[in-house]
Amino acid sequence: MISQKINYLNNYIKIAFLNIKSNIAGNIFALSIMSFSFFIMLFFMLSYINIYNYMFSFEKNNTMIIFLKNSEITRSNGARHSNKIVAANIINKIKKFKGVKKVDYYSNKLSYKFMLKHTPSIRTILAKIKPSYFPRIIKIYFKPDYISKIYMSNIYLRLKSMRHIKFVYYSKLMEDKINQFVFFTKMLGFIILLFLFTSSVFVSYSAIKLIILRKQNDIEILKLIGATNNYIKIPMYIESAIGSVIAFILSLILLSAIFNIFIYYKFNKFLSFFKINIIFLNGFDIFLIFFIALLSGFLGTYFSSRKFF
Amino acid sequence: MHVYKSYDKNYILRDLSFNIYKGEFVFITGPSGAGKTTTMKMVIAMEKPTHGQINVFNEDISAIHPKQIPFLRRKIGFVFQDFKLLINRTVFQNVALGLEISGVSGSIIAKNVADILKAVELYQKRDEYPLSLSGGEQQRVAIARALVQNPSVLIADEPTGNLDFETASIIIDILKSFNNKGTTMIIATHDKTLIELGRARVIDITKN
Repeated sequence: MISQKINYLNNYIKIAFLNIKSNIAGNIFALSIMSFSFFIMLFFMLSYINIYNYMFSFEKNNTMIIFLKNSEITRSNGARHSNKIVAANIINKIKKFKGVKKVDYYSNKLSYKFMLKHTPSIRTILAKIKPSYFPRIIKIYFKPDYISKIYMSNIYLRLKSMRHIKFVYYSKLMEDKINQFVFFTKMLGFIILLFLFTSSVFVSYSAIKLIILRKQNDIEILKLIGATNNYIKIPMYIESAIGSVIAFILSLILLSAIFNIFIYYKFNKFLSFFKINIIFLNGFDIFLIFFIALLSGFLGTYFSSRKFF
Repeated sequence: MHVYKSYDKNYILRDLSFNIYKGEFVFITGPSGAGKTTTMKMVIAMEKPTHGQINVFNEDISAIHPKQIPFLRRKIGFVFQDFKLLINRTVFQNVALGLEISGVSGSIIAKNVADILKAVELYQKRDEYPLSLSGGEQQRVAIARALVQNPSVLIADEPTGNLDFETASIIIDILKSFNNKGTTMIIATHDKTLIELGRARVIDITKN
């Protein structure tokens, strides 16, 4: 029984290759269209995971900056409300928040020095400004494990409600923009994936239908001498699977080549300036597109052969 | 038994009844359009009778499940007037088809195909393609393909219809030799010369 199944499998593969050989031009045409479709799918997957990766790393490095009010007041009874004491109190409160990694305080003078150091081109202008006009800032760093959209919003609201705080800034807007962009890419990618998947199914459908139409006479003969429908159909499935696998491998090689040549050698320095680390598809992403490729071939064959058997 | 076949209420066969026994050599005859081919097609379940019952191997094939048809056909060899060979396959590959379909191993296929090709004197041409062969040779390939599975019954529909007398007599000799080995032969023909050559029972479907 097992040896008979092996014999059948051998025959199916042999017939599949005979079919490919007998329609080489049509198969190359179908292969090129399918390769192109899979390439676009892989490209979108690559774009998406990089955008997601960037957003993720951006989110995990998010910090919060607090601008403090000027609290230097001497009351009528002689009591002095010092900025330093206010800042120390706020820092102590912040340090008690869960997920806070580090808190840095920049007094007016430190803010002034910071500006002088990092903006040398406007040093002459800065020299004319009193250091006391510069803001007092507290910069908060978070533990990456704690960072999430909700966590940041909570911290933001808690800080905003505190006395002596002018305003709180963190890259919420940027994060929202990235989230929107990821969502847009996801939707666009999904629509394109659906379109390309449908076109791959159609290409596979057309290629197999062409074979069936060309080989209708042969199929009739095979049936007359006792071939079952499966005996005729299975080589077609194998044929489309071979086509899908080859098209997928070609598209992956093409994407990999483009990725290495253009991204790595030409744009890596440019992208690293923006702290963007470009990554290639991982095993799961590749498998996902490979599965879609196989499925499209399978469905194409199923729809084209359903009419005839 | 009592088989009727009609296309659009136009009856081709009316109340056709006959029996063929194991090991017989039988000619089914009748003029063109009498329904010989239709009768042959009904025997291998290519067509269904409008009324009546057809028993092959003691089984009513007019009620056979479509999935069982291929397995019935593997037990019955069929030879067509137009040979029905696959032109993109060699003589060897054409003859091997029936065995491949049955899932026979490569080594057995090689042996059986070689034996049958030797029997029909085409072993030397095993690697040639059908279109490079003469009509008689193509028909011998078709007979070899039908017989390679060692079927109990071989049905031939006008097997010599496109062949000259000399080639036709070779074909009949081949069929006779296999009949002597036990294969039941059913030959549909309107060619009286062939019937005389065969010297066997004749069933005239216009009278049955």
